Amino acid sequence: MPNQQRYINEAMNADETEQKILQLAKAIPADERVPSGFAMRVMSHVREIHTRETSQADEQFLRLARNIPANEHVPYAFEKRIMAHVRALLNENPFTIWSRMLWRAVAPCLGVMLLAIVLAFGRGDSNGTEPLATVDPPVEAPDQNAIDFETVLLASFDDLEYTW
Amino acid sequence: MEATAPLADTDLRTDEELITAVVGGEVDSFEELIVRYQPRIFGMARKYFRNESDVEDVVQTIFTKTYQKLGSFNHTAPFEHWFMRLSVNTCYDALRRKSKRHEQAITDVMFENETDDAWHNRLGSIPDPNDQEALDKASELVHTVLGQVSEKARIVLTLQELEGRSIKEIAEITGWSISLVKVQAFRARKEMRAAVERFLSREERL
Repeated sequence: MPNQQRYINEAMNADETEQKILQLAKAIPADERVPSGFAMRVMSHVREIHTRETSQADEQFLRLARNIPANEHVPYAFEKRIMAHVRALLNENPFTIWSRMLWRAVAPCLGVMLLAIVLAFGRGDSNGTEPLATVDPPVEAPDQNAIDFETVLLASFDDLEYTW
Repeated sequence: MEATAPLADTDLRTDEELITAVVGGEVDSFEELIVRYQPRIFGMARKYFRNESDVEDVVQTIFTKTYQKLGSFNHTAPFEHWFMRLSVNTCYDALRRKSKRHEQAITDVMFENETDDAWHNRLGSIPDPNDQEALDKASELVHTVLGQVSEKARIVLTLQELEGRSIKEIAEITGWSISLVKVQAFRARKEMRAAVERFLSREERL
């Protein structure tokens, strides 16, 4: 405090008063205290401005987009091109349609096949019996087939015997 | 005295009469339907696609689908509604296929050969309808920003914000419920805001 008073006195007495006042001003330490919540207050204001600017940009963009007239220009003879395409659809080769349908059927068929496999194995496990794939089919005696074949082969000759 | 030129050969049949004829086997009547609706369909498709070949492809798909499904049109509502619904759904499918095939970055097309603030100025200025170059640039900007949002958002933004359709109309066209359209509209607006923000922040960095 005495220092400050001395400075003031010197300043008042000196010829270059302005310089002294400036020196005095420099001697006063900066008060850097910040009110509580000041940063938050400023940031909320900044966000508000940002939102307003962005929404203005939205509106500007939409206004621009609305003001572009629809370009309804049609290429020359475009309808002829579509009609040619439609007629090509009408005159499509039946084999092409058939092969397309077959290809479309591939996925469902695979699905059904997988389902059947799962069901077959699932049933085998749940009943405690052997799976279907491992059950042996009934086997006929090999001689019986040979006998049947011979009977069929010689049937016509038997008929001939009767007519003679 | 010179003979007057004959009037253009216009088909005066209504849409419904033409449809009945096409379904009955008179394929040529379909051409009249194409001629009637193709300008509007081209105008609509150009809102969703920038590339002219994409536009032509999608319009061809729309008319081919229309021909194939014409038998399922039951004449209870106007043909125009049924047709617009089919068209928008076809555009949506095409957008989905295209976005899977080709993701375009916002910087790919936007800032080449442009000065720093050219796009920013363009966002704020309405182009002169007679200045084709300005219209093309504005259209490119709109496509670029809308290209950054999802396909659903793009459909909703185009129908609601650009064409001015109501929520109910959008629900009828898309086949979504009214509450779903409301949710999508909210999300679409949010996505668009983010896209515009990205666009502006990118520009500030340049």
